[in-house]
Amino acid sequence: MSDIREAITGREVRVDYASIEQTLAELWRIEKTEGVAVTRAALWNVVAHASNARDHDEASDTLARAAAAVPQRTIVIRADPTAPAEMAAWISANCHLLGEGKQVCSEEISIVAGGDHVQRVPPLVSALLIPDMPVAFWWLGDLPHDHASYVHDLLESADRLIVDSSQFDSPTDLEIVEGVGKRTDTAAADLNWIRLDGWRAATASVFDPPQMRDRLGTLQQIRVLSGVSDASYFGESVQALLFASWLIAQAGLDIDGDGGVSGVEVLFEARPSQPPGVARVDLELKESSAAIERDLERGVLVTNVDGRIDAPEAVTRTSARKTDQLIVRELQRPHGDPMLTKVLPIAIRMAKRLSRK
Amino acid sequence: MSSVVLEPNPLREGLEQERVPDASCLVIFGASGDLTHRKLLPALYSLAHDGLLPAGQAIVGFARPEYTDEAFRAEIKAACNEFARTKPADDAIWQNFEKRLFYVQGSFTEPEGYNRLKQKLAECDTTFGTGGRRIYYLAVPPNFFPVIAELLGAEGMVADPERGGPYTRVIIEKPFGRDLESARELNRVAVTTFRERQVFRIDHYLGKETVQNLLVLRFANGFFEPFWNRQYIDHVQLTVAESIGVEKRGAYFEQAGIARDIIQNHMLQLVSLVAMEPPVAFEAEAVRDEKVKVIRALRDFPAGHECELSVRGQYTTGSVLGEAVPGYREEPDVAADSRTETFAAVKVFIDNWRWADVPFYLRAGKRLPKRVTDISIHFRPAPYPLFKKIQGGRTQPNVLSIRIQPDEGISLKFDSKVPGATIRTAPVTMEFRYATSFGAEPPEAYERLLLETMLGDSTLFARRDEVETAWAWLDPLLRAWQNSPEPPDPYPAGTWGPPAADAMIEREGRRWRRP
Ligand SMILES: NC(=O)c1ccc[n+]([C@@H]2O[C@H](COP(=O)([O-])OP(=O)(O)OC[C@H]3O[C@@H](n4cnc5c(N)ncnc54)[C@H](OP(=O)(O)O)[C@@H]3O)[C@@H](O)[C@H]2O)c1
Repeated sequence: MSDIREAITGREVRVDYASIEQTLAELWRIEKTEGVAVTRAALWNVVAHASNARDHDEASDTLARAAAAVPQRTIVIRADPTAPAEMAAWISANCHLLGEGKQVCSEEISIVAGGDHVQRVPPLVSALLIPDMPVAFWWLGDLPHDHASYVHDLLESADRLIVDSSQFDSPTDLEIVEGVGKRTDTAAADLNWIRLDGWRAATASVFDPPQMRDRLGTLQQIRVLSGVSDASYFGESVQALLFASWLIAQAGLDIDGDGGVSGVEVLFEARPSQPPGVARVDLELKESSAAIERDLERGVLVTNVDGRIDAPEAVTRTSARKTDQLIVRELQRPHGDPMLTKVLPIAIRMAKRLSRK
Repeated sequence: MSSVVLEPNPLREGLEQERVPDASCLVIFGASGDLTHRKLLPALYSLAHDGLLPAGQAIVGFARPEYTDEAFRAEIKAACNEFARTKPADDAIWQNFEKRLFYVQGSFTEPEGYNRLKQKLAECDTTFGTGGRRIYYLAVPPNFFPVIAELLGAEGMVADPERGGPYTRVIIEKPFGRDLESARELNRVAVTTFRERQVFRIDHYLGKETVQNLLVLRFANGFFEPFWNRQYIDHVQLTVAESIGVEKRGAYFEQAGIARDIIQNHMLQLVSLVAMEPPVAFEAEAVRDEKVKVIRALRDFPAGHECELSVRGQYTTGSVLGEAVPGYREEPDVAADSRTETFAAVKVFIDNWRWADVPFYLRAGKRLPKRVTDISIHFRPAPYPLFKKIQGGRTQPNVLSIRIQPDEGISLKFDSKVPGATIRTAPVTMEFRYATSFGAEPPEAYERLLLETMLGDSTLFARRDEVETAWAWLDPLLRAWQNSPEPPDPYPAGTWGPPAADAMIEREGRRWRRP
């Protein structure tokens, strides 16, 4: 009994995987009878999938922080078909203080499976989901190109599939994500796309003044500079691709089957000296030019339109958001992001064009 | 000429800041005052922090004292560090924000200041692209409203929306008059310079997330509405309790009293949101049309018997949250024989199909045991007391309570079986707390309201007819109180008002809910 109680302090307690739910119920009952002011809350089921111990730890730490902003039942899976055939489970509680001595807690379940026991994970996860709460599935690392039925079974009940395209190694990964969004009820979400929120807001602000509104249609050149440490790694180029694709989609430009954009030159440049992600965007319009640039020192994005002060700089904070903040941002969105659905096919076509070059 | 309607910016689609207003010049009259320092500029800064202010938004403070722009900015930065939701001010964001923050010195009653102001605004138009768009925020004592409106008009600083071109909007603070006559006069003065759709009357309760959630609760959920009527609801209680006294506002409060200060505006707004019919659209006029119908349906106080449906009280020495506090008559700027009420409880009826004969009990007061605003819907008991004989007691009616502040949330009380071999029931509650589920601190009411004004959406502001109808209903009670030879009932500070308030509701077999 005292073992279970340790879970409330955040420590992982090993439990029999056949009775996880009962053990959790027991845990909260103990808390209640001992008069601790604990409130349990959950708005989401969040299932994280890792294939190694490092990703497992990262998922667990990240979601423990995210749970403070979006209470959730967290299930972290580590599945490795090449490991010995066994399965084990742990529980712990993620608690944070709400003031006045009140604690808000949610539970975390860890499942580690190896060998053919991996196949037992999807039905176990399905049994552990809280009913009537949406399910987000966070896939850490590169998407598996085989094991289709395993992924399918896991995603069966997912409302949201969260990936990070900066970790993708080929355009095929983008296609898998697009396919999930298209063929299932699971909405795709990409942490790398959320990192562009500030860039999108800053770029949008350039076209907020009434006199600039029509000029979006006169776009002639888009140049995106990114910080890149390994130019051969596909993942590092995805953010720039998503940004350009978004601009193309929203400016109403046509993209041909080959990934070319009619009438607009799209240039991608790598800046090895810069930290990863988009570093600067230059837009040539018929009668104007605009630049959006990150100012790392001040942690802001700065816009400059024709160098004139009557279209002043817009400030958007650009301090790199941590993974848990990106996940919180995604979970705070009640529905999927239709803009990503619109942008992905364009990004895939452009990615393929670039890889042919 | 009519103003050209711009297509929305397609790059804003799907962004959190989907609606970003066009940049304008916002002038704050009364920039040296308490409201400006504690609420308005901190709210504007937080909007800038969250990326919700348009690039180029200019803010000009206007008041009597001499300040340079630099001195004004330094003072406002200190205020933001203390009061902004997003405190302390972030250096990069502040630097950008203060570049468009200015101060113009002037008297509210002399044209010279207005001329300087006009020049400053013209400069902002050329420097920041604010395009002649103006918002005047009157954070001033209400007696200055007529002269400011008149001088703005005389100096040609107000554009008529009928003639197209850039907009001019004016924000006014409560109190909107002190009775029907003065409210009408204020509105009459307003419309000599502004049209009704240019006037934004702030009732900061409407900027609160939980107040807006009342509409979501009622109209986004299918299951409340069928029970939301006289057939299932026994009565409704509203409590607006403050633990503080009159602080430094004794002189103002002496003239006002709690009914004018809270009931006429905040409480009637809450009543109308609880009781209104579903609007045909979530748009300013549609929502306000339905709200004003509720106020119009408030049953008049029976002539000559007004005091029977109401109780008024005044706090005496006592203690609140462990601190000894003076009585109202000992507060600064309060008369030693003051008859101003610091507590009021009123029983009201809404004479329409949905609410006929369902009492709404309202109470508001200062120096009550704690600060809380709470609405509770008390449902009728089950039609047949099935368990009465078995347990030898009564089951409790269901109560849906909506906590507006603090610790915002909703709870539902219902009966449940107590575990054991016999049938015994006990009330339990199902709770939803904003902080538990959503964590993040919601935006301040003023942030939301300032943004809505910039966007030109007046859904969350009081319309002229709402204000006047509310005064028309309350006036007879205020007159009856004034003419009554009886002073308000005393109640010790730190209690829930005078015993007569309990008696009023208990006479009818009901009790105040302890919020
Ligand atoms: N403070 C709040 O929390 C709050 C809440 C709700 C509504 N309101 C309403 O908002 C308005 C402003 O409130 P406040 O608390 O900011 O008031 P305040 O602190 O008294 O200041 C108002 C402004 O008016 C100026 N002023 C006052 N009397 C004046 C006079 N005789 N001649 C010229 N200027 C004068 C003050 O300038 P000086 O610095 O030169 O005196 C100051 O700039 C009032 O209508 C109030 O009812 C306030």
